[in-house]
Amino acid sequence: MNNNLLELQNILKENNIIISFSGKFYQGIIEELGEAIKNRMEDEETPKNDMYNVFSIYIEQSQNIRNYILCKKNSNKYNKIENSGIVCISKKDSEYCISSGNVIENEDINTLIEKLDIIKVMNKDELKKFYKAELKKEPAKDSLGAGVGLIDIARKASKPLEYSFRKIDDNLSFFQLQAIV
Amino acid sequence: MERLYIEGTKSTPEIDFDPSKNNLKISGQSYPENAFKFYEPIFQWVDDYIKDIQGELLIEIEFKMPYINSSSSKCIIMLLDKFQDAFDEGKDIIINWYYDEENESTIECAEEFKEDLSLPFNLLDSGR
Repeated sequence: MNNNLLELQNILKENNIIISFSGKFYQGIIEELGEAIKNRMEDEETPKNDMYNVFSIYIEQSQNIRNYILCKKNSNKYNKIENSGIVCISKKDSEYCISSGNVIENEDINTLIEKLDIIKVMNKDELKKFYKAELKKEPAKDSLGAGVGLIDIARKASKPLEYSFRKIDDNLSFFQLQAIV
Repeated sequence: MERLYIEGTKSTPEIDFDPSKNNLKISGQSYPENAFKFYEPIFQWVDDYIKDIQGELLIEIEFKMPYINSSSSKCIIMLLDKFQDAFDEGKDIIINWYYDEENESTIECAEEFKEDLSLPFNLLDSGR
């Protein structure tokens, strides 16, 4: 029997985490967790604006993870990527922090950094223009929507996004993204 | 033309396009796993419907969407462009977009869609 549950719970508490999921992301899980997040925030009488900002950041983050898993189906690292997703929502004072992480291939890091660096320095107005331009540019049929998702996250966040890459080995790294509402 | 009805789910809006009333309604959240796959049959129906319109009819399109994810937004733009094209060809089309005053993103997102269109686009408070 695993006797570490209490320790795990204490870690969650210390980090003010109110909702978390770790494992393989499916659309069904994303929906259930999304509803749970909204219910919880409604119970706490969170203003609707904050609630929908938290909800939409969570949706874009978790769908980005889901899409990444789908597009790596044929990678020989798939078994390391498949179940590596995690999303946590924490609350401290009146601030919500929505964090997501997943294992990605090192060859994808640069493209991601380029996108994030462009977004990071933009103000809300620039983000809006960039979002609209990218929405119109992106081919709808084959795309699973990543890319614009990151811009949307930055638009809904009240502070600049924070992110990090932690190297696991020569092929893989753990990517973490954090947004504040 | 057959009526197009798709029941809503947590992540897909209810679609009720009734050609006998010239009234097309989309209501609910939209964040399906594959937005294009969900909206493709809707695009198809709208293309056929617009081709089919005879005489001078007022077509009303109603949106009540509390949340639209980024890939669905792309599809909503494509849908609105179809209505804009029909309007440019002389069809009588109005968009009624219902926002929620307490959820500012529903207003912002409607305004952003509206910016690029010239057809009649009303922003209405769903609470009233």
